[in-house]
Amino acid sequence: MKPAAALLVVLMGAVVGLQAVHEGRGGRPSADSPNLLYVRSPEAMQRLALSYEALLADVYWIRTVQHFGGTRRSTDPGKRYDLLYPLLDLTTSLDPLFNIAYQFGSLFLAEPPPGGPGRPELAIALLQKGLQVQPDKWEFAQQIGFVHYWWRKDYTEAAAWFRLAAEMPGAPFWLTSMAAVTLAEGGNRQSSRLLWSEIARSEYEWFHNEAQRRLQQLDALDQIDQLQAAADAFEQRFGREAAAWDDLRRAGYLYGTPADPTGVLYRIASGVVGLGPGSRLFPLPVESARPPQ
Amino acid sequence: MDAIRTEALTKHYHVGFWRPRPYVALDALTLDVGQGEVFGFLGPNGAGKTTTLKLLMQLIYPTSGRAEILGRPVGDVSVRRRIGYLPENPYFYDYLSAEELLGYFAGLFGYSAAERRRRASALLDEVGIGAERRLQLRKFSKGMIQRVGIAQSLINDPDVVFFDEPMSGLDPLGRREIRELILRLRDRGCTVFFSSHVLSDAETLCSRVAIVAGGRLAAAGDLSELLAFQVRAWELVVAGVDDTHLQQAQAAGDVTRITPLGGQRFALEVPLSADPARVIAGFGAHGGQLVSLNPVRETLEDFFVRQIAAAPTTRGLEPVAR
Amino acid sequence: MRMIGQVAVNVFKESVRDKVLYNLVAFAVLLIAVSYLLGQLTAGQDVKIIKDLGLAAIATFGLFIAVFIGIGLVWKEVERRSIYSLLSKPVRRSEFILGKYAGLVLTLLVNVSVMTAAFYAVLAYLDTQFSDSVRAAWPAPATDPGMLRAIGLIFVELMLVTAVALFLSTFSSPFLSAALTFGLWVIGHFNTDLRNFEAVVESPAAAYLARGLYYVLPNFAAFDIKAQVVHALPVEPSYIATTAVYGAVYVAFLLTGAVVVFSRRDFK
Repeated sequence: MKPAAALLVVLMGAVVGLQAVHEGRGGRPSADSPNLLYVRSPEAMQRLALSYEALLADVYWIRTVQHFGGTRRSTDPGKRYDLLYPLLDLTTSLDPLFNIAYQFGSLFLAEPPPGGPGRPELAIALLQKGLQVQPDKWEFAQQIGFVHYWWRKDYTEAAAWFRLAAEMPGAPFWLTSMAAVTLAEGGNRQSSRLLWSEIARSEYEWFHNEAQRRLQQLDALDQIDQLQAAADAFEQRFGREAAAWDDLRRAGYLYGTPADPTGVLYRIASGVVGLGPGSRLFPLPVESARPPQ
Repeated sequence: MDAIRTEALTKHYHVGFWRPRPYVALDALTLDVGQGEVFGFLGPNGAGKTTTLKLLMQLIYPTSGRAEILGRPVGDVSVRRRIGYLPENPYFYDYLSAEELLGYFAGLFGYSAAERRRRASALLDEVGIGAERRLQLRKFSKGMIQRVGIAQSLINDPDVVFFDEPMSGLDPLGRREIRELILRLRDRGCTVFFSSHVLSDAETLCSRVAIVAGGRLAAAGDLSELLAFQVRAWELVVAGVDDTHLQQAQAAGDVTRITPLGGQRFALEVPLSADPARVIAGFGAHGGQLVSLNPVRETLEDFFVRQIAAAPTTRGLEPVAR
Repeated sequence: MRMIGQVAVNVFKESVRDKVLYNLVAFAVLLIAVSYLLGQLTAGQDVKIIKDLGLAAIATFGLFIAVFIGIGLVWKEVERRSIYSLLSKPVRRSEFILGKYAGLVLTLLVNVSVMTAAFYAVLAYLDTQFSDSVRAAWPAPATDPGMLRAIGLIFVELMLVTAVALFLSTFSSPFLSAALTFGLWVIGHFNTDLRNFEAVVESPAAAYLARGLYYVLPNFAAFDIKAQVVHALPVEPSYIATTAVYGAVYVAFLLTGAVVVFSRRDFK
């Protein structure tokens, strides 16, 4: 019995060791390239699902979350989030009522690299697919408007979608005025703040965190505006650019050292205020000029 | 009313895929068995014995002809309340224990729980299954399964029992026990119809027999009528006799055949014309000893072999070219 | 009736002694392990995924039991010849078939009931892990009794699968029976394609054949309302009733066929 037991132990040890080698070399060859999504066609997947559609949708959803999280964490400069749309498309084809998938897509498909693939048109396509199944879901219509608003800066389209959403059952009262304001003034921080606050109310951690970050960015923009106004006033008064916070402090425009909502100190250089290095709020959103009246 | 009755019972199977030809498993079997008889249904392997039993149990359907049990046609479910059947090489649910199997079958007859237990227990005692009755049948030897099989066939106190090779798988002690059981059944008025290819069992137990061969009935009737039961010679076994005396006896016509058995023993055939007592005395005078004296009768085996030789061989199939 | 019951109880006993019910352990382990591991993977979709998984697992475990026991129900008895002694008792061949069917349905009932209880237990535990605001956003509560409607229809579907397997078992070997039963189950879920064949195919004869098959072959997809109950969509009680009746009628058809085939058979 003894030699047999020893043999078993040795063989098992070899198995474990080889598995470690396999892992050490990076496991299976990367399964994250588009070629390796075995079934790309949602129609084919639906046919193959055989009553397991909902479960398969869940599996694809998990893969979506993993793909997105993994790509976000990766330091590869060429990362493209190639599978994000196909995975979301499969998820929502297998389970057309998988609301969180549409909303995830609306938020992250449009985001430009390195945070996302930067494809707002795909986000809109996904949401429109969702609207075909649930034509009265105001959240989807509002999200489409939001994509136009925030990512494409197309305020006319955005206003049109907000108006459409406002007429759907259950829509919040402020959508009508949002539509009007957007049409009239284009993108302003108040509207943006309102839209992101709406998203921040989601119980899904992902959205909540993302929206919080955006709101903090808007706060930062406000703060930078104020600080920039102080720096400009300094320059006007003293005829030279403010070079450091000390300048402003000594001139009485400032008390203490300003920090952004994440606690990172702002930076001033050549009279221009900006985010401190290493701030998570980088890059701040770009605000376009107002449309002609 | 006969216990069992068949009229021209016939069963053909179809052999071959493209041009099926009928294989005659049983050809127009007509026999009857009276109530209370122990009836031996004999024949070589493949003669049609099991086919007949399956037709009687309606496990298979006849091609033509009919059969009745206790006056009712064989398919009648009510008749099955009064019969018992032991299949050849029986197999029972191996996940049940012997007790549970008998309890299950008893339940099919509608007995109360207490009655079921009583019957199961009594029958298992009768067939010699002791404490093993609680073990699952998958742990039973062939002989034990055979005993359980006999027990289950009797669970309903049947009036007619059908045994297919009841002695199969039993050791000599077991065979004697089952022989005694069959006789007890007869004494209780039960009709016993059993098939066998072991002739000595039939000789001891049966009042009537039928012999089938090649799918046909070769002979049927009272055992004593079928066999001459005549003594045709004596078989004498002696010891301590030397060659000279043997030669003398043979020359005198007292002994027709000498078979040495080793160790100075001889088996001698003494014809009817000689008086066995005188022959024994003659050997004794020269120092020989009598070991045994037995009458030689035409046995069932002799009769059997004669019948078989006359049986049909092709049974509907193409004869094999030699 | 009594005969059928006794044969049925015997089938149930066999299943228990064959340790079929240990599959319940596998089911429970699967559900608990997955719910434990899901955690961060799913962006808050835990309850939906557990519901989907639980319902799919109940359907799948049940399917495998129905097929793998069903295909042997009759075949094993005939092959091993335990049927010889059974049919010498006052049991009609029809009672034998019906008893076998009832026994497997009883086994499935026990199995599905225990799985359902474990399923709800896991959901009840999960329910405690989420805040009220999150729970308010769910389309249905974690321990939504509405899911019992889906489980009920799954059970009727299993009864139909069992009937198919039993029918095949009266004349066909286990391997062939399993292949045919699974095949019919797959086709029964492809039914929308069958129905719409004419849109895909040129030949009208093929289209008619496909349509004909759609009507005749068992429509297993109709029993699947899992997605609906998880999303708390309304399902008409009349739909459930008519689908259940469809299942019952098809079962009766198959059992009749099985009795007919079985009653005329010679046993080897």
